[in-house]
Amino acid sequence: MGFRRDIADAFLKTNEINPDFVEVAPENWINMGGYWGAQFKEVSRRFPVFLHGLSLSIGSPDELDFDFLRQVKNFIEEHDVRVYSEHLSFAKLDNAHLYDLLPIPFRDDSVKHVVDRINQVQDFLGMPIAIENVSYYTPVAAQMTESEFINQIVSQSGCSLLLDVNNVYVNAFNHHYDPYEFISGMPLDRVAYLHMAGHEQVSPTLIVDTHGEAIIDPVYDLFDFTVAKLKSVPVLLERDFNFPEIRMLNHEMNQLRSIVNKYWIKDVVPA
Amino acid sequence: MLYQPDTYKIEQDLSRFGRTGNDTFIPGTTEEGLRQYRRLLRNNINNTMVQAFPISRQVLPDEEWNELINLFFADHDAKTTQIWKLPAEFVTFVKENDYATLWSKPWLNDLLYFEWIEIEVYTMPDIEAEPFTLQGEIREGTIVVNPEHRLVLLRYPVHLYAVEEAKNHPGDYFMMVYRHPETREVLFADLTALDTFTFENIAHEQLSLSDIAAGLKLQFALSDQHPLLTNMIAFVQKMMAQKLFLGYAVERKEQF
Repeated sequence: MGFRRDIADAFLKTNEINPDFVEVAPENWINMGGYWGAQFKEVSRRFPVFLHGLSLSIGSPDELDFDFLRQVKNFIEEHDVRVYSEHLSFAKLDNAHLYDLLPIPFRDDSVKHVVDRINQVQDFLGMPIAIENVSYYTPVAAQMTESEFINQIVSQSGCSLLLDVNNVYVNAFNHHYDPYEFISGMPLDRVAYLHMAGHEQVSPTLIVDTHGEAIIDPVYDLFDFTVAKLKSVPVLLERDFNFPEIRMLNHEMNQLRSIVNKYWIKDVVPA
Repeated sequence: MLYQPDTYKIEQDLSRFGRTGNDTFIPGTTEEGLRQYRRLLRNNINNTMVQAFPISRQVLPDEEWNELINLFFADHDAKTTQIWKLPAEFVTFVKENDYATLWSKPWLNDLLYFEWIEIEVYTMPDIEAEPFTLQGEIREGTIVVNPEHRLVLLRYPVHLYAVEEAKNHPGDYFMMVYRHPETREVLFADLTALDTFTFENIAHEQLSLSDIAAGLKLQFALSDQHPLLTNMIAFVQKMMAQKLFLGYAVERKEQF
């Protein structure tokens, strides 16, 4: 489960949520002091921490921000972070942060550009990173399919893939492809991590990846199909807002658990 | 950069559309998808500012608030990687573009700053205080300041009155905003000019109250420093109880 302020007490006080690891965005916690700085220190003392970044902007034409990366590296060392993942998107352009994930055109030069930047980041951090397939709401001047784009980037950069199953479902609906074929076409031997989340249909033709709703059955079905094809990897339930009662979150985690337990050894459970 | 110029331009156009909502042609895109990005990006900025500035949002008419958000997102190149720090850039943007004068809202800069400073102090990185003891002599001792503070000077007392009333009371309003070392809550204290002078001399010159009072007596050719010293002692005692001052410096033993 992602550690969020709204449900912090369930992690730290009531122990209603007791995950095997927590995921946070480093941007939300770097240089945070006071009450929440202390809360986060307690979280990192009690749980393994995975980082899922927002501002690296791997698909941006701007130079990589090495001052920011230095802060991430220090944060990784300070909190003994096991995994650092980022999004296959851009979030900054012409030195202006956009604070959301915009789609990279699926093109040959984009592959070269992104691979070069992933390599720079991995060299700087001294560790491999995982890159997540993002939801996108319009294609942008594509010269290849999304599946080809992801495969080329993963194979050429040596990074891992954070496979977001809900994003596959969302994109398949929005862009009219078969999510099962898409999953089968992914470099599954490079998947290091899975994300699951809810979404919201905002029009008859568009679904938005909100992380603010419960997971729906067709996404659980796709998750089941995916897990059956993978070795055991960490699984994260993403919930960023519109939090239900904790028992409902635990119910979702248990549903994920029951699926992974069908295929994987029992000591690996979703967090 | 390994992008071809046309790929770079496509990303630029997408970014520009997201920031402005102005019509643009981007090959291969759908109108519904583009509109969705514009909505998501602007909502992120708006929600961040509404959360940071609840009072400003409430007192500004919708059209002025929306104009501020639109102009800020379109014209300001956001620098921070951490969106929760973006409100600080918003405060600077509004001040530099002088919307306070433009909209005849002279209190606007102070109100935004007042709202932001609470967040800044609440979230600021922990700062270790100098070693201190609670035992000391208040007139002669070196007083240790809680380092997690900001001294604020407001021109309009937006912390005391509703903005329309604050407009009628321009002046110099000193306010201390600091974080309680145990509860981590943000506390506010109004300071007089003498309190502020005393605080500055304690914090930056490490002067004792006797030294500060003596300096003032000399500077203003006063006949008696006692009334000043009495006021200073009352201020320090009060603020020590409220944890702006933590105690008295521990003498460091010289190492040979």
